[in-house]
Amino acid sequence: MDYSTLDDAALIRLIAHARPEALSALYDRYGRLVFSLALHTLGDQALAEEITQDVFFRIWEKASTYRPEAAKVSTWLTSITRHRAIDVLRQRAVRPGLDRTEWSETQLMLVPDGADSPEEVTEQALKQELVRRAVALLPVEQSRVLALAYFQGLTHSQIANLCGEPLGTVKTRIRLAMQKLREILVDDDLDINRLDMR
Amino acid sequence: MVLEEHVTDLLPAYALGCLDEDEDEAGLVTAHLAVCPVCSAELRSYQAVGEALPLAISMSEPPPAIKQRLIAQVNQARVTPAQPQPTWWQRLEQGFRRISPAWGLASLVLIVALLVSNLLLLQQVSRLGAAAPQPVAARIVTMQHTEAAPDATGVLVLSKNGEYGTLMVDHLPPLGQDQQYQLWLIKDGKRTSGGVFSVNWDGYGSLEVTSPEWLANYSALGITIEPTGGSPGPTGAKVLGGNL
Repeated sequence: MDYSTLDDAALIRLIAHARPEALSALYDRYGRLVFSLALHTLGDQALAEEITQDVFFRIWEKASTYRPEAAKVSTWLTSITRHRAIDVLRQRAVRPGLDRTEWSETQLMLVPDGADSPEEVTEQALKQELVRRAVALLPVEQSRVLALAYFQGLTHSQIANLCGEPLGTVKTRIRLAMQKLREILVDDDLDINRLDMR
Repeated sequence: MVLEEHVTDLLPAYALGCLDEDEDEAGLVTAHLAVCPVCSAELRSYQAVGEALPLAISMSEPPPAIKQRLIAQVNQARVTPAQPQPTWWQRLEQGFRRISPAWGLASLVLIVALLVSNLLLLQQVSRLGAAAPQPVAARIVTMQHTEAAPDATGVLVLSKNGEYGTLMVDHLPPLGQDQQYQLWLIKDGKRTSGGVFSVNWDGYGSLEVTSPEWLANYSALGITIEPTGGSPGPTGAKVLGGNL
């Protein structure tokens, strides 16, 4: 069976039936995303590798609990990754830093894997570019607090203390940032809901 | 407390999970969302934004060793299955043994004796109660699982007069996107749909039962696996059943 042709939900169902090949295919599809998210959050290669392995092993153990109507598989994966990475930040008492508020640091360079057709690579690159441009359109002070909230799991008060800004200002910036991104990515016909996140 | 006004200003932060705990705004938003479809729909749009944010970071290729370690870990887990969870009786026994091996067994026997005598007393009280006229209370129908869902449980709670009911299930296997569970109400051999539902990651789900007649008029019920949206009649495996 060519597992790479199966959709995400089908792979999860097979993983729930203890098919390591299905987990391998899911890793090929989302391993880069999970690793990148962990690395971006923690800034530590070894920790990011550990979390990546943990996340996929958790999928192996919990595949039978996946409910398709609750979330896409990609959302489930990134959600687990984000929470795991933030937990590690807290456990290790890593001081939140303003030095880790950047988003995309490099020009978009997708490394296509062997299973992706040129069309799929182009579509993925387009999706990433759309989101990156949307974030790049935000004023710096908004993208900074958004990064602190999303990647470091900080609350309004924690961000306000870290940045030395009034609490109300932080609340407003986060709200405006999310409203702007929603306007670009959801309200416009782009409909980010339909985008796969490989 | 449920906020009567919309909570739209709080939804972006709620979607990100960055509301402060001491202000309990998250709790207020959660309570409000349970009763406000407008804010629920608004939240979904912000959640879609949150879900897209990882795409905005730089992508890095993971070292091949991660996948190798993952597959090795999976293969190891398959060879060494997890130890079965102890039953409640075994946990109780272990707990007492930890206190004192000598006293543990004796205490256990005493507790079991007390439990049995309490059960007998309760049965006696129940019989005495049943003899006296009592107002009709809401009825609970317990469903039995089939081999298709050996861990599943289900109860149907009927209203006082038997007209309405709510179904609650637990530990049913989550289904794919193209399937749902369907409740069947059975009367004189005929099966009428009582509604379709899905379960969450833990296999928990509930359903406000809809039926053309009062639920108390039916003799039995069953739950089967059907295509999403339901079927005119049962086509899939039965997972739970019970008598009304």
